[in-house]
Amino acid sequence: MSGGAAAWIGRGGLALLGAALLAVPFVLPELGYGFWVNIVTEILIWSLLAASVNLLFGYVGLLSFGQALFFGFGMYGATLAVIHWEAGFWTGLLAGTLAATAMAAVAGALAVRLTWHYFAIITVVFSLIFYFAAMSNKTLTGGDDGLSFSAPAVFDMAGVTVTLADPLAQYFSVLGVVAACYAIMGVVVRSPLGLAFAAVRENDRRARLIGIDVYRTRLVAFVLAGALAGVSGALFAFFGRYASASYMVYHVSGEAVVWAIVGGIGTLLGPLFGTALLIVFRELVSTVWENYLFAVGGLTVLVVMFAPLGLAGLWRGALGRLTAPRAAPAEAPADPVAPSADARAVPGGR
Amino acid sequence: MEPAIALETRGLTKRFGGLVAVDGVSFSLRSGRVNAIIGPNGAGKTTLFNLVTGELRPDDGEVLAAGVPITGLPPHRIVREGVSRTLQIKSVFGGLTVADNVRAAVMAHQGIRSAFRPAASYRAVGERVDALIDEVGLARHRDRKASALSYGDVALLELALALAAEPKLLLLDEPVCGMGPEETERAVARIRAVASKVDVVIIEHDMEVVFSLASHIVVMASGAILAEGTPDEISRDPRVQEAYLGAPEDDE
Repeated sequence: MSGGAAAWIGRGGLALLGAALLAVPFVLPELGYGFWVNIVTEILIWSLLAASVNLLFGYVGLLSFGQALFFGFGMYGATLAVIHWEAGFWTGLLAGTLAATAMAAVAGALAVRLTWHYFAIITVVFSLIFYFAAMSNKTLTGGDDGLSFSAPAVFDMAGVTVTLADPLAQYFSVLGVVAACYAIMGVVVRSPLGLAFAAVRENDRRARLIGIDVYRTRLVAFVLAGALAGVSGALFAFFGRYASASYMVYHVSGEAVVWAIVGGIGTLLGPLFGTALLIVFRELVSTVWENYLFAVGGLTVLVVMFAPLGLAGLWRGALGRLTAPRAAPAEAPADPVAPSADARAVPGGR
Repeated sequence: MEPAIALETRGLTKRFGGLVAVDGVSFSLRSGRVNAIIGPNGAGKTTLFNLVTGELRPDDGEVLAAGVPITGLPPHRIVREGVSRTLQIKSVFGGLTVADNVRAAVMAHQGIRSAFRPAASYRAVGERVDALIDEVGLARHRDRKASALSYGDVALLELALALAAEPKLLLLDEPVCGMGPEETERAVARIRAVASKVDVVIIEHDMEVVFSLASHIVVMASGAILAEGTPDEISRDPRVQEAYLGAPEDDE
């Protein structure tokens, strides 16, 4: 009963969020905040990088500080496809995603043999190696200066060509791709594969002893996370019409970890909210204070101290309190996204 | 006709640096009865289980489960060969509900790995999950998180996870360790029920439990087999009394 109510409120919230995101490019410019359409676009794009951290850390229990590597591969895959093959948006997106996925398969085959700090370290090492390789290989990557290109076509059929230079086309292309990524993640984490992820995260020894191939499960997650980061990087390249090796540095990875943690690890949309909060915060504070990163750090510490489950945890806690005044001890707050979501109300303690 | 063999080891050896934890252990445990492995702390019992389930690789020797060689296979493959185990420190998936714990185990056993269909939508799996939960007596706690269960219930859940793999051989490492008298009684009853269908080998320090369950006992000391026989023979064996029953550390 209470679980049902919470689920309905959760669904309502999701519908509201969707409606708000659809309205952004029409409403914000009317209100004189046209600039913020780009901020929202940026939030959507970066949130996928945070989601990639979250898929690994929140769902499989592997903390990666190297997701910028796959972001970079996505970025360059898309950019090089546009520059050398005159690819459009969709082909470029595919090229970037495939490049990141392939890199993740190679890096993952080695990295997921390790766990905890060893895993974290090897992800940093991988991204550093490729960061320096990209920085020094200027002919291919443009190094620090990067490579730029002009807005490719999103739609090119029957003599009608729409490019990313059209603000609406750009916004809705990004929104569509990002929403599809979250939808796919939502399906995966509820599937048998998602349950295996959770088992590995909770207890890898027991996971082995029930017959799960832990190595393979972690590798699949790592490759999926790499693909997500790749989509993020490709979208960001299209958004800026630009790719630069400087985005492959570990600061970028670290920022994604912070976004994911602030948003709520192990929740589907947490990374989106974490990214939104910290990017909006940055936009507001950086205009008045150049050392705004101190404030970001302070805010992060506060969230971790007072809301260890992140923004999503706060939301769930509020939902739980709102909808469970006379419910049985709610030690498992209804979760609108995780596999254990359909917490059936237990009638009469049977 | 030869009696069927549940578990056999041949010259099984494991060294940790200079310490020989398991030293050329050979035994042959018959099917159709509860076998127990006892011995003082540090005798190598748990190491022996770890060698059987593939969590450790032996330096030497062989393991056969129901006549099938399983030496050197990774743990998840050995489970598929029909060998399940529980751990001394009860080990389940704390953040998942009881039902999802068992569902994960059933799906792993049945090789269901789809990434697209909701895990909860598999009807036959759901029925099997409910049957296993009923079998160990946790139906009341079906939708609770495993981390919220009492210690005794966690042990029962772990048993359900082990049974989900439809094992031929079940290894129980100190199944009543840390339990009060009532929980112990409940656990012993469950083990007895399970043992009527599956071959069971237990490691246990509680002699009352060992003597009430097992009809064959292997005594280990310092990594090697000290004695082997029926409970009667073992309780009368002077070497066992000296090395084990007389030793001061038989309580934990």
